[in-house]
Amino acid sequence: MYIDKEYLENYKNLLFSDFEEVREERDNVLKKFVPIYFDKKNNESIKNVDNNKLANLNYNYKKPADVDSAIKNSNNSYTIKLFNGKCDNYKDENLEIKNIDSNDSKFFFNNKLANTSDFLIDLNSLFLNCGVKIIVNKNKNIDIKILNIVLEDGLTIFQKNLIICEEGSKVNLVEEYNNQNSSIHNIYNVFEVKKKSVLNQFVIQNNSKNHELYLSSYASCMKSSEYDQKVYNFSNGYVRNYHYSELVEENSTVSHIGFFFINSDNISDNKTYVRHLAANCQSNQIYKGVLTDKSKANYFSNTYVDKIAQKTEGYQLSKGILLSKDSTYFSKPELRIFADDVKCSHGSTIGPVDENAIFYLRSRGISKNTAIKMIISSFINDDLENISNEQIKSIVTKNLNEFLDNIV
Amino acid sequence: MFLDIKNLSVSVEGNQILHNFNLQINIGEVHAIMGPNGSGKSTLANVLAGKEDYEIHSGQIIFKNQNLFDLNIEERAKQGLFLAFQYPVEIPGVNITPFLHSSINSKLKSNNKDEIDNIEFAKLLRLKAKDLGIDKDMLKRSVNTGFSGGEKKRYEILQMSVLDPELAILDETDSGLDIDALKIVTEGVNKLKNQNNSFLIITHYQKLLDYISPNFVHVMMNGSIIKSGDKSVAADIEKNGFKIFQ
Repeated sequence: MYIDKEYLENYKNLLFSDFEEVREERDNVLKKFVPIYFDKKNNESIKNVDNNKLANLNYNYKKPADVDSAIKNSNNSYTIKLFNGKCDNYKDENLEIKNIDSNDSKFFFNNKLANTSDFLIDLNSLFLNCGVKIIVNKNKNIDIKILNIVLEDGLTIFQKNLIICEEGSKVNLVEEYNNQNSSIHNIYNVFEVKKKSVLNQFVIQNNSKNHELYLSSYASCMKSSEYDQKVYNFSNGYVRNYHYSELVEENSTVSHIGFFFINSDNISDNKTYVRHLAANCQSNQIYKGVLTDKSKANYFSNTYVDKIAQKTEGYQLSKGILLSKDSTYFSKPELRIFADDVKCSHGSTIGPVDENAIFYLRSRGISKNTAIKMIISSFINDDLENISNEQIKSIVTKNLNEFLDNIV
Repeated sequence: MFLDIKNLSVSVEGNQILHNFNLQINIGEVHAIMGPNGSGKSTLANVLAGKEDYEIHSGQIIFKNQNLFDLNIEERAKQGLFLAFQYPVEIPGVNITPFLHSSINSKLKSNNKDEIDNIEFAKLLRLKAKDLGIDKDMLKRSVNTGFSGGEKKRYEILQMSVLDPELAILDETDSGLDIDALKIVTEGVNKLKNQNNSFLIITHYQKLLDYISPNFVHVMMNGSIIKSGDKSVAADIEKNGFKIFQ
């Protein structure tokens, strides 16, 4: 195991290396990286991770030479290009975008995830080297697009972003990952969804074969807030989507919805975890995937309902279409309920394309390939129809059609 | 001969269902097949439509002078064969309107005819739906998804009406329909019936044949036709049951 060696050798280059309290925290995290933490049987968070590769990672981070990255498109629309996790600072009446520098050590401690042992988030804490803070001001209604750009091969980017939606704000956030190099991108997004605010997040992933993306997120949802996350993974490489949220105050809702379309020997590694900590809250956790060749996916969905979280409504669903006998999709729903007045359910349907449905469509003159495409598209059609952002709809449709053209 | 089934023997999962089955249908004719459960009626319908789960041991089916076994499922549909399913499958997420639009255009294209555009198709679909008492909101839904039994059967007839087949096979379309729905469905069939198409109607009961008058009624038992006649055969069955043929 070289994690400790890499950590010690590169410590000076890490973010907040001058702060003693950060050092103490990092040293505590490092203590978790004992051999048992690498045991896949005991640690769900690395089930499909090449942990040998991570244990032997060669730390390599380069600050971008020059960034010109925060753009205001119109009165309420912004595009932020993050180069190796860095961008320019920007501020106006709607929001503030701040590149994290060594003077903001509080950032390190923001929203530590409770009761969860996640190897990749711990690794992110250990090697944290970049990130941004975005604060959307009270009652502002804005669109933000973030392009996460990794500039070269062989980088190890450990990025943490903090996005705060202040009270009454409404934010449509689009995140794109479209990297074609062989780097490791470990990113941890922390969202604070304040009272009566709404955060609609679309994540579009379309990385190349050798690019590894470990995307984790944590959202805390305050009174009467709404957080809706949709992840679309069309990547040709390894992608890990682990998304956690806590419904901290009453009448808040969260949705973690994901779609993945994978082929070859690619892996889509997914988890969502919602903690209901207050009454009258709702959650949806829905992941759907289409797999072919020797691709592999898993989806762990978790709902925790605290004893005070009465009138909780929690729903979990996983669906998968296996287009080849060598593809596999492992789904494990979990519900831990300590309140007595709740409505919670889970469902899972994974299998090959329904032959009866193919027969039905073909009996109406539709070719077999078109019938299969129709059935696969049907997985996402209802969701697509509900997307009001035409640009997102167009990107998702284009990626879906490319996937379908390659497999059928 | 429009449809000529000769000595057809078929099995599924090792069980022989059809035994030297024979049936001839001329253009413009309506044939009804009646038979008890398990007599092979639905197997016949599925084999005609091209379902691939069946093993054909012997026999042939000639449809419009072509060997039907040379055509795959969609090619048969494009040639004008239509099966109204006994249990129409639900396909969530596949919207009715674009699906049927693709179906009709695929058929038109294969017959070297001009494809129909969105607007023209929407008009056609609404018109046909209205005839069958189908609400236009239903046309926005996914194929058969969340439909009642009666709605599914009506929707099958709507598809038939839009695709205007030359040979329509109705597999127990009357099952699960109340009397009002049965009238609507049979009116739809009667509107479509003409001298250039044929119908093969599979049913358990005479009731359906009160509304769609067949030229021939066949009794099917143990995978073969054991009696053929006119509409009076259906009346016999209604009165005495299938046991009189055993």
